[in-house]
Amino acid sequence: MITQTIALFVDAYRELNAKKLFWITMLLSGLVVLIYAAIGIDEEGVSILWFRIGFIPVTSEQIPPAMLYKSLFVNLGLGIWLTWIATVLALISTAGIIPEMISGGSIEMLLSKPISRTRLFLTKYATGLLFAGLQVAAFTTASFLVIGIRGGAWEPGLFLAIPLVVVFFSYLFGVCALVGVLTRSTIAALLLTLLFWFMCFVLNFGDAIVMGIRVSNEARVDAYTTSIETKRADTTKILTARHTNQGDPLPAGYVATDEDIIGLTPWASLVFEQRTKSEEMLDALRPWARGVYMAKTVIPKTGETIGLLERWLISMADLKTANQIDETHEAPKIDKDTGEIEMEDSEVSLRAQEVIRSRPVWWVLGTSLLFEGVVLGIAALVFRRRDH
Amino acid sequence: MSDQTLAPARASGGSEWAIDLAAVGKIYKGKIHALKGIQMRVREGEVFGLLGPNGAGKSTLVKILMTVIRPSQCKGTMLGEPVGSKHVLRRIGYLPEHHRFPGYLTGAQVLDFYAALNEVPRSVRKARIPELLELVGMQDWGTTRVSRYSKGMRQRVGIAQALMNDPDIVLLDEPTDGVDPVGRRDIREILAELKRRGKTVFLNSHLLSELEMVCDRVSILVHGEVARQGTIDELTAGQECYEIELAGEESAKQLAASLPGMVRFDETGAENAGLAKRVGGRGELATGEWVEVDHAMLRVGTTDAAAVQPIIDKVRAHGGVIKSIRPKRPSLEDLFMAAVDGGGAAPGAKSSKNPKRDMKAAAKGGDS
Repeated sequence: MITQTIALFVDAYRELNAKKLFWITMLLSGLVVLIYAAIGIDEEGVSILWFRIGFIPVTSEQIPPAMLYKSLFVNLGLGIWLTWIATVLALISTAGIIPEMISGGSIEMLLSKPISRTRLFLTKYATGLLFAGLQVAAFTTASFLVIGIRGGAWEPGLFLAIPLVVVFFSYLFGVCALVGVLTRSTIAALLLTLLFWFMCFVLNFGDAIVMGIRVSNEARVDAYTTSIETKRADTTKILTARHTNQGDPLPAGYVATDEDIIGLTPWASLVFEQRTKSEEMLDALRPWARGVYMAKTVIPKTGETIGLLERWLISMADLKTANQIDETHEAPKIDKDTGEIEMEDSEVSLRAQEVIRSRPVWWVLGTSLLFEGVVLGIAALVFRRRDH
Repeated sequence: MSDQTLAPARASGGSEWAIDLAAVGKIYKGKIHALKGIQMRVREGEVFGLLGPNGAGKSTLVKILMTVIRPSQCKGTMLGEPVGSKHVLRRIGYLPEHHRFPGYLTGAQVLDFYAALNEVPRSVRKARIPELLELVGMQDWGTTRVSRYSKGMRQRVGIAQALMNDPDIVLLDEPTDGVDPVGRRDIREILAELKRRGKTVFLNSHLLSELEMVCDRVSILVHGEVARQGTIDELTAGQECYEIELAGEESAKQLAASLPGMVRFDETGAENAGLAKRVGGRGELATGEWVEVDHAMLRVGTTDAAAVQPIIDKVRAHGGVIKSIRPKRPSLEDLFMAAVDGGGAAPGAKSSKNPKRDMKAAAKGGDS
């Protein structure tokens, strides 16, 4: 049993090894690592190789080197290279695995061996993940060394990228295998998988937009409320003092009403209006947010799976430091002519991060793997029942 | 070939049949009956040939045995285990028709890969690869990629691959396809060696002369049914004859006219009445042997030379000129054609206007 599994994996490796694209991807991986290894940061600023980049006013005091390399790894290495470009290359290389396996002349050789069809199919599927696995392993190891040597932080957590990227790729490859079994065509498998991926991307994009609007409105409501409560406290103080002076003290524990606030500060009525507007916006958004969330629960969460690494690698506190937000941050300013509040982008994006991070890991991975399991189950069933 | 590479075949649990099919059927997409209840037995240690025209269902049957195709109906065993059991495949070597090995593998890697799928241990594989490459004459090509092989070379490596697990049954689907005459002779020698070691060899081929040279028994498949089955001797039994060829159609005509005392002609002799010169017919000698006249050819159904002499005398007495006399045994091709056409082509075979009924009768006769 183990002999067969090893044989299938060795065969898959030989196939990859014979493909130029595999080594081209490996080479490009190396280049990406070299590029960000070339970026340096110290007390004086940012440099590329030996050249100082004067126009970027950031020093190692604002962004510690380890943080810089980690975020380069997460955003550039993982976010752009591995999960976009390298994934497309991996799909091009592996889309043919299943259609080629079931092509005439080749499938007879495999089915006539003492190995069950289900196991044959699933093992072959697993070998398809080898490309992604080897690429991300090499890339992560190189990045680990760069972050260690250049950034001075040895971060074993980086290696979590290997299972995460493989899992991410497996969602797509599952669809690819199903289309491959159904159509027996490499091109169809590749194109429909890319289409499916694009669909996931659109859904994620929609989710991000809905979430962005929601989060910024929530932040606004919070800010308006804070501002109103501050005013309320001030108004209470002023009214209490005024009434005491007039010999008509207010009852103990009196709290200024909304009318009191507006009576004292007329433009505050605009703030109330703005708050109501934001609240209405939130209500209108709720069904949309629910719909997108439900759709995302069914579909594999490609972006969020990769996002897990950032969650684990870069803490919320680190993010706040990088964005220079701390608890003593001054209250947002209110425009007295419109009552509108000036929100800082960084705060909104931090809130969005918090929402994303509050989505449980089981939801991100579990429901995605469930989807993959169903897709693979159908593919295996079709493969089992077919006459080849 | 060392004795370890291909050890004598193991017994299959008391049964003398390596393959014993009682009823194997396959219906494609609910309507096309590719196989109609095949009944077939392959004796242990024999070379068995499966033949039939294109589309007869030969490959379908082989694929069912190898679990590549799922049968619609299947009663039968292979090495004592039910057909369809994956377990038993370990003891079977298989070369599919039109096989394609991954082009990125070398010849040696092909042997290694498929043997590993057959769960042959690594050390055994290592030892067998050079031996089998040598057996098929590919020892100098083991490290060359299959994509650079010629068709014949691929076929040779394919046969070596089928022997990697030291199988008890070797099932070869068109093994000589694309192989030159020298290669075909080599393959025949390999088959003979396998037989010598007690392996059962199941050949699927339409190269009839090839099969005739190596097969102990054959089965002829037509339209998804077994039309004939048995040893070549059994199939040709009663069909051996002497062929007396006369010079010119005129003498044949004379012959036909002069024989009535000896031969009682059927009315069927007139079936080609449109051709004035055509003479034909069938009859029986007083001693019981059949006689057939076809153009200038006279066939006498006997293997006894003495029985032919009176006929020769008679022909010569009537002025007939004899061109040649020779004993004749129908070839596999004759049998094949007879089975496919439903009779007629094989000398002595009863012609029938209903070939299908003929085949069914033969199928019912089944194994002798």
